[in-house]
Amino acid sequence: MNFYDWMLALHLLAAFAIASALVLYSVLVFNGRRMESPEQRGLLFRIAPIGTPLIGGGSVLALILGVILAIDSDQYEIWNGWIIAAIVLWALMGAIGARTGKYYTDVQELAEEGGDSAQQEVVARLRAPTGALLHLGTMLVFVLILLDMIFKPGA
Amino acid sequence: MLAAVRPHSWDLALFVHVLGAMILMGGLVTAAGAGIVGWRDSAAGLRRLSALTLFAVALPGWIIMRVGAEWVYSKEGWDKVPDKLQPTWLGIGYITADAGGIILLLALILGGIGIRRARSGGGAGLLKASTVLAAVLIVVYAVTVWAMGGKPN
Repeated sequence: MNFYDWMLALHLLAAFAIASALVLYSVLVFNGRRMESPEQRGLLFRIAPIGTPLIGGGSVLALILGVILAIDSDQYEIWNGWIIAAIVLWALMGAIGARTGKYYTDVQELAEEGGDSAQQEVVARLRAPTGALLHLGTMLVFVLILLDMIFKPGA
Repeated sequence: MLAAVRPHSWDLALFVHVLGAMILMGGLVTAAGAGIVGWRDSAAGLRRLSALTLFAVALPGWIIMRVGAEWVYSKEGWDKVPDKLQPTWLGIGYITADAGGIILLLALILGGIGIRRARSGGGAGLLKASTVLAAVLIVVYAVTVWAMGGKPN
């Protein structure tokens, strides 16, 4: 394995870390809408931190290693349309993902406050379409990046 | 450099394969994470979520990954190449996908029985065993992802 092969393997592992976090969040978003008791919802908030290093570290590494690959490759350049598209989509995914994260962090803080009115608000926010749509948006952009990486339009 | 120069006619099959593998890995991470976080809990909530995630996410992911693998294998023409001439990374992919499938099946059986027993207050050991197998599979498939990306020969 040469330098390029190693970078590609690590780039792919970083992408899988992001995907793993997104799947984990999907399970939490889906189950969060169905949970009835504060104890059940509390279980989901305990798993959520597993996704943070995966999506944070994965995103940063995928970008850095992707740029290294583009510089090292003889086949394509960093200013190729599909690579620029990937970087733009990466930034968009980060922006939507950050909003999604803030939405659910606020819900978690509310849940930790306790009290009946706070718990009712937690249920309302978990069942509201806002968080689920934001998460769906993040997933959609990730799938677009994946399509862009595999199909390499214009290459 | 194969990935950089492959024909576009292979792309859809590769997309299906990679998407399935990502769903599989995500399901395993979620299942192992839930099981480990809830390892010492007296209630079975997280261990149950772990087993259900294996069934509802990891299993469909494995099926999509495996179908995609066979599709891309055929598209790339490896089915016309004798086994002894096939590259190492392909062998790693086949062995880990199929052996991993058996381990996943075992984890699903243990998890399924564990969920049934959890209704009467038991099954913790079986659900924990299912979690351990999910964690083992994460390591196995991380090595596979490395091999598929780096293509060692």
